[in-house]
Amino acid sequence: MPAHETATIPLPDRLKAWKDEEADLLDSLTELESRQGFIPRNLAEEISRALEVKLERLRQLQSKVGSNVRKEVDALVAKWKGEEGSLILILHEIQNQHGYVPREVAMEVAHALDIGLARIYEVITFYHYFQLKPPGRHNLAVCMGTACYLKGAPGLLTEAKNQLKVEEGETTPDREWHLDVVRCIGCCGMAPAMVVDGKVHGRVKPGEVTQRLTPAQPTKATP
Amino acid sequence: MTKLTLADFQKPAAPAANPDWVRVSMDTGGIAAGADEVCAVLEKGAGTLGFPLEVRRVGTLGYSFADPLVEVARQGMPTVVYGGVDAAAAGLILRDHLVARRLLDDHIVASRARGLVLDAPTTAILVKDTAADGGDKTQFFQFSLVEDLKRRGLQDKVQVVRALDLGVYDKGVAVQFLPSRVTYVNVLAADIAKIVDTTLRGKKVLDNLLYKTPDRQMRIVLRHCGVLDPESLPNSLQHGVYQGLAKALGAMQPAEVIGEMKTSGLRGRGGAGFPTWMKWKLTAEVDREPRYIICNGDEGDPGAYMDRSVLEGDPHSVLEGMIIAAFAIGARRGYFYIRAEYPLAVRRVEKAIADARAAGLLGDNILGTGFCFDAKVRLGAGAFVCGEETALIASIEGKRGSPSPRPPYPSVRGLFGQPTAINNVETLAAVPEILVRGGAWYAGFGTEKSRGTKVFAVTGKVRHAQLVEVPLGITLRETVFDLCGGVSGGKKIKAVQTGGPSGGVIPEPLLDTQVTYETLQQLGSIMGSGGMIVMDQDDSMVEVSRFYLRFCVDESCGKCAPCRIGGYQMLQILNRLSRGRGEPGDLERIRAICKAMQKASLCGLGQGAPNPVLTSLRHFESEFKAYLEGGVTYARKMAQTRPAETPAPEPVRA
Repeated sequence: MPAHETATIPLPDRLKAWKDEEADLLDSLTELESRQGFIPRNLAEEISRALEVKLERLRQLQSKVGSNVRKEVDALVAKWKGEEGSLILILHEIQNQHGYVPREVAMEVAHALDIGLARIYEVITFYHYFQLKPPGRHNLAVCMGTACYLKGAPGLLTEAKNQLKVEEGETTPDREWHLDVVRCIGCCGMAPAMVVDGKVHGRVKPGEVTQRLTPAQPTKATP
Repeated sequence: MTKLTLADFQKPAAPAANPDWVRVSMDTGGIAAGADEVCAVLEKGAGTLGFPLEVRRVGTLGYSFADPLVEVARQGMPTVVYGGVDAAAAGLILRDHLVARRLLDDHIVASRARGLVLDAPTTAILVKDTAADGGDKTQFFQFSLVEDLKRRGLQDKVQVVRALDLGVYDKGVAVQFLPSRVTYVNVLAADIAKIVDTTLRGKKVLDNLLYKTPDRQMRIVLRHCGVLDPESLPNSLQHGVYQGLAKALGAMQPAEVIGEMKTSGLRGRGGAGFPTWMKWKLTAEVDREPRYIICNGDEGDPGAYMDRSVLEGDPHSVLEGMIIAAFAIGARRGYFYIRAEYPLAVRRVEKAIADARAAGLLGDNILGTGFCFDAKVRLGAGAFVCGEETALIASIEGKRGSPSPRPPYPSVRGLFGQPTAINNVETLAAVPEILVRGGAWYAGFGTEKSRGTKVFAVTGKVRHAQLVEVPLGITLRETVFDLCGGVSGGKKIKAVQTGGPSGGVIPEPLLDTQVTYETLQQLGSIMGSGGMIVMDQDDSMVEVSRFYLRFCVDESCGKCAPCRIGGYQMLQILNRLSRGRGEPGDLERIRAICKAMQKASLCGLGQGAPNPVLTSLRHFESEFKAYLEGGVTYARKMAQTRPAETPAPEPVRA
């Protein structure tokens, strides 16, 4: 990690406090309202003044983050400059970095390459490898190659679905687990196989799916 | 690394430096089974042995059922392959095999190169009960043999070891003598005394027990897999990689290279079987620069992993084949198109390219001959249709992988509108060996029209799922039963599916069909990239055809109507059928849609998608009818009790 990024590490605490500020204010206003039945005018005016200042800052924040995305995309575009058909290469890097292709990044890529956004989405939606939604913290992929299919992969998939309470291609509400079906991971010799966070588990028996999920697995659906 | 020149290839290869070595199969399958850990144990222990031990990370030998594999060589001992090795077994290899010079029980995968004469005094005997039901007479025979040896005072000279697999199946108890590899089958308890007397003391082979069937495998494409370190260029050079390139650049004209390919009869190993020499000639003849060469490593066929294994096990040979192809067609630039789902293969090919460039095997003035060529890796992104050549080209150009109508063929108008030759991984891997040993040598394998060898990934309900490389013309039955041990769990075989989602099912009575491009086509299947999926009596053919069809519907690019609409409608009918809601006339409707798709689809995906359904319908119509007539429960019961369709059709011989 470059030095200028490590310097910003203390930020997350402040970020959290900043995010909680509004929530606190909102809570106290609600409480005030329920106690008195209304919000005093002078207080309301003061809040709206503060809001305006805040909104302006928010705009600045957004453009800061946005320029970050732009820098990132520009670096990628520069890296593959002069390479014909570089779009897929760029998308691969974005996918690997973010785990999906965020819309704002795709928009930046369209700018940088001077092509339509539709041209980019045409490619993203065609290939299975590129995702449009952020992935879960952990990933479970059940292999559905022919060998695995014959040796009981559908059972494993049902078990995983029941366990995580999501359908294939979905992420649990707490963003802990993403369940996927893959075509073939080429481990047909140890069918049925599944991949948990990049590690291949072979010869998985029915009923074993749960124990192959690492301890972070939400056994009971979290509220 | 200093740049190599042609003169470097005139010197004979340096002899192997260290006679004591272990090779750990570090391909995706091996790593998934825990080869990393095994390798770590061996590397850590290597320093404590008191003699130098070379630990090498290699590709796979192909015995996927026994991953992770470790091959061990120790001076004065037979070289053996251990399968199913875990950290504990790796410790035992260090302690027992390397130091105490004793072989390990229950891990040895015996060599398929069996001997017929006792050319060396026996130091070890492998024992294994080869019956399909997994009957366990192994232990008993080991005990009896040891007792007998003790009686004659031979117990210190000959070790009796339980093997994991002898490569012989359904032949009762089998024993193999090391290091001569003479193998006896159908050994009875009564034979033990005779074996010890005649073979061990008298050093004579017992002819009535000897297993004489020679090994059908011939490793040409897989020649280096599991032997050399794919991440090391020097190690690859030691094993003779780039000799073919040196020969081509040093002593041949491009036309001569193409001529040698013509003599060899090599045909495209990606499935369609177009003659490689003709593809090269057509591309070379187009008078437009630049020309391109592409290696198709987009192995999307679920249930097949030949290309992955070759790319992971021997990337330098594939690269060598590509450079030779580039020389033959006059290309200056090449692309490897590899699935992103194969990260290890991508990494190893990228490293191979970088190393080769540093050594003067790529780039300007290759080997000092003035020939210039460079290669790059492009990642696939999970689209099956991108294995189709026009779709693959579109994908490299950074577009959706939609196929385009042919002609014009890529050899005329391919990548960026330029003449392009697209070859499969396996095809390119075979090229250098053909140049080194001559086209006539390669043409000596296989049949009249389908020459040479082909790698198959035999998976599914087979006893020992593995990679095999066999001369074309071998029968399906030989491949499944003699080489891979038949169906697992001693069940009855129902069918073998070849060619993946574009191929067809071949029922049990037709298993004596010879495997060639033409014969498989006659049966409504294709050779495809080389997946062979074994199905047993429990597998419903309706479900299997539904599985393949759903795959093709998901993967259809949607460009042409027959594939997009036909596939979807057919899947709806099959779904309904499998829920017991079939209607009269459904089967006729399915056949009509199949025909339309085959005739009118734009590319191989749509044309091939009906194959699994049509062949299932042809050979197992009763299963479909059972769903129509009796509903789901009845159909499931029928599928299990009824063997393949009667009357039995005739197998096709080439």
